[in-house]
Amino acid sequence: MPKDKFFKVMENKIHPNEKLVSTHCCYCGMQCGMNLRVDTTTNKIIGVEPRYDFPVNLGKMCPKGVTAYQQVNHPDRIQRPLIRTDASLKGTAEGFREASWEEALDLIVSRFKELQHNYGKDTLSVYSGVSMTNEKCYLTGKFARVALQTRYIDYNGRFCMSSAAAGLNRSLGIDRGSTVPWTDIHQTDCLFLAGSNAAECHPTSMFRIWEVQNRGGYLIVADPRETPLARRADIHLDLRPGTDLALANGIVHLLIKNGHIDEDFIRNHTNGFEETKELVATFTPDYVSEITGVSVEKIVRAADIFGRAPEAIVMFCRGVEQQSKGTDNVSAYTNMSLVTGKIGRPKSGVATLTGQGNGQGGREHGQKADQLPGYRKLDNPEHVREIACAWGISPEEMPQKGVSAYEMFQLMKDKTIRSLYLLCSNPVVSAPNLNHVRESLKSLDFMVCCDFYLSESAEYADVVLPVTTWAEDDGTTTNLEGRIIRHRQAQEWFAESKPDWWIQIEIAKRMGRGQFFTHLKSPQDIFHEIRQVSKGGIADYYGVTYEKIDQNNGVFWPCREEDDEGQPHLFLDKKFYHPDGKAKICALPYRPPAEEPDEEYPLRLTTGRVVFHYLSGNQTRRIPFLKDMYPDPLLEVHPKTATRYGIEHDELVTLKTRRGEAQYRVKVIEAIREDTVFIPYHWGKAQSINLLTNPALDPYSKMPEFKACAAKIIKHKHGGVRHG
Amino acid sequence: MGKQVLYIEMDNCIGCRSCLAACTQCGGHDNRNRNYVLDVDPFINRQTIPLMCFHCVNPACARSCPAQAIQIADNGAVLSALVEKCIGCQNCTIACPYGIPKFDEEQNLMYKCDLCYDRTKEGIPPMCASVCPTNTLQWMEEAELEEKRAQIPLANGKWTASHDPDVLEGETNVKISLPGILQGKQKLF
Repeated sequence: MPKDKFFKVMENKIHPNEKLVSTHCCYCGMQCGMNLRVDTTTNKIIGVEPRYDFPVNLGKMCPKGVTAYQQVNHPDRIQRPLIRTDASLKGTAEGFREASWEEALDLIVSRFKELQHNYGKDTLSVYSGVSMTNEKCYLTGKFARVALQTRYIDYNGRFCMSSAAAGLNRSLGIDRGSTVPWTDIHQTDCLFLAGSNAAECHPTSMFRIWEVQNRGGYLIVADPRETPLARRADIHLDLRPGTDLALANGIVHLLIKNGHIDEDFIRNHTNGFEETKELVATFTPDYVSEITGVSVEKIVRAADIFGRAPEAIVMFCRGVEQQSKGTDNVSAYTNMSLVTGKIGRPKSGVATLTGQGNGQGGREHGQKADQLPGYRKLDNPEHVREIACAWGISPEEMPQKGVSAYEMFQLMKDKTIRSLYLLCSNPVVSAPNLNHVRESLKSLDFMVCCDFYLSESAEYADVVLPVTTWAEDDGTTTNLEGRIIRHRQAQEWFAESKPDWWIQIEIAKRMGRGQFFTHLKSPQDIFHEIRQVSKGGIADYYGVTYEKIDQNNGVFWPCREEDDEGQPHLFLDKKFYHPDGKAKICALPYRPPAEEPDEEYPLRLTTGRVVFHYLSGNQTRRIPFLKDMYPDPLLEVHPKTATRYGIEHDELVTLKTRRGEAQYRVKVIEAIREDTVFIPYHWGKAQSINLLTNPALDPYSKMPEFKACAAKIIKHKHGGVRHG
Repeated sequence: MGKQVLYIEMDNCIGCRSCLAACTQCGGHDNRNRNYVLDVDPFINRQTIPLMCFHCVNPACARSCPAQAIQIADNGAVLSALVEKCIGCQNCTIACPYGIPKFDEEQNLMYKCDLCYDRTKEGIPPMCASVCPTNTLQWMEEAELEEKRAQIPLANGKWTASHDPDVLEGETNVKISLPGILQGKQKLF
């Protein structure tokens, strides 16, 4: 693998008695390259160095990336398996005792067998996540269906990426988050970012995004808040949360009206244009302005710039996707690229900014309730036969498709599901309508949680298994471009922790299903199986090897043969992945958010991230630098709204919705709409904003509506402003 | 390789504080950041700017030091106080017009940004500029700096959109463009 030019200098001169291990960050989908500093006398990770040779980030890191290594040997790490001794203390960190692996695994398997004997195989469930390697994600799907033989498996990607996946599948026939490599972004002429606070969520994209403007290109941002990204945009479309579909339809309307469409491309490479043209005809700038609250002038100007741009990229993120019509939003924004033909060539296309580290790869390998590896579908008998054959089971043995993540909690409540195997996720913070979720977990007969810290969710478990962090194991992830990259083990497994793949294989053996797993002795063995099993699927990894990843600094899928170099750009041949090779321009009627403001709840609550924290904050809230920078969630309120409620900056108030209430300090700032309030979601317990959010699900992706619900502020009698 | 300088493009800053986090990682920085990020007007918008040592050519901190504890390196880096010379008088912290040098009560010692001298002398960018995800902080050769200046021709003939900063301490080794640098930028279409 090519070493970057400073590697030797840094290794030899700056840090004697240390070695550098080239790997990638554990957090968001950028998967930035970094070097971990390892003390060669203790073999412990002690620091980080920039890694200049990885083309996506060129050495750049956000504050989470710089401090990520501090989680590895953190004093909060769980050292040994924990077994709950006092069920009445569920939901707290108390009532556990330490146990050996033998005892913990034996207990898990005996309880699993007992529950399956009494209530059937499907009484078990697996709830997973995508901040782990492809190898672990793949094995988790196989573990649920082959070792536990349950239909109930789903993952936290339902709260993160599923609307992007469903929308891109519907429009383009394939779900790869970006049709262009990230190294194209700064070369385009117009970037249209919708629902993306890229500056805080994907900061290492920013040097490319600013470069578009530095070159004289345009930046258009659709966001209810004036984020650090929107602050410098050429046009900031400051729409009401939950009204993206109207905005996208309105821009497509103007693109058609002003002749900014590519008729040849539409005729030869798409379906659905005429229906869409008819539908968007009513989305005049005045009508769109009325729905979205964005001025007519800005809508017209944005459409004009996008239409005239020689090359343009449409990018979207959770602001668009975490809605009860997120799938429609994604397809509607994709329509902008399709009607103008600005897709299927370098510097033009669509991209979604992936939140979780392996949000892309994790949804390709069969962790979703309805999917099998390689994006095969459980309701397609041919696909089931292919995977069953690869796994060595009969097609009849393959469990049916299950239900989505949030729906699993409902099944726990009614006792259809009695046991949960939770890994790589913290739903007690990250799921919507948390009071319901917490009750559901309490109602379980038996719960296992795999984590490296005692997360808020682990506190509900009967057995907690300590797992390794990202820097203690080998494996691959697939970043937000669709580039498969290598994570390298930098130190030995911490204390008695084990990787998830090791644990699952041990449980499979004890469940009497070892014959399907015992050939997998390392991550590379599992990757080899992914290659074989994904062959012929849409997400085809067959041609990817660890060696090829090392040589090329990552390989883009699909990569179908060993001499295939992979595909950084999709659709260069103008062939989309629908059976007729054409993309679908979707006619999508507008509908408002599931819950609109009213007299009782007059504000619209939207949620999101801050740059210092990652997902449920289980990792980042423990890192001193990050914690100091943003210790508690703040309620962002416009000064006029604050005046209306008689509240001041830093005052403690209660925020309430139909699902719950919580107390927050007020941050008064003009950079938000007057009718909207914002809270970041990285905190647990009483500070979780998801106590308040709406679980209304998108009908296609089953993504909850985190981004828009009706809320009100309740002023406390005694204010409570901190002074000095 | 020509002389390299730190160049700050204020308008790019998103307030992520990566530069602070990275500063703690530089060898000899004892896990303490020596640079700062300010919210310009936190009740209004999210404009932030980094506040770094400008490594003045004739620095007030060094001039005011009665013990000659503040050395200036060959690349212009104004270094932290030498442990063996610093008498803990804090003249430097008072003299600096930008408030950069800080005082460590425990060690009775001033500490400040040293432009990651152990790196920059080897041709490696300082930690803050290495990681800065927005290109607010850039480590570049003087020739590249001139190219940048030429790329942004403004009506008033000056480089920055507002005005060349009237630097309190005269010439500095760190170069700055103030917010608004793109105001005169010619659009592609």
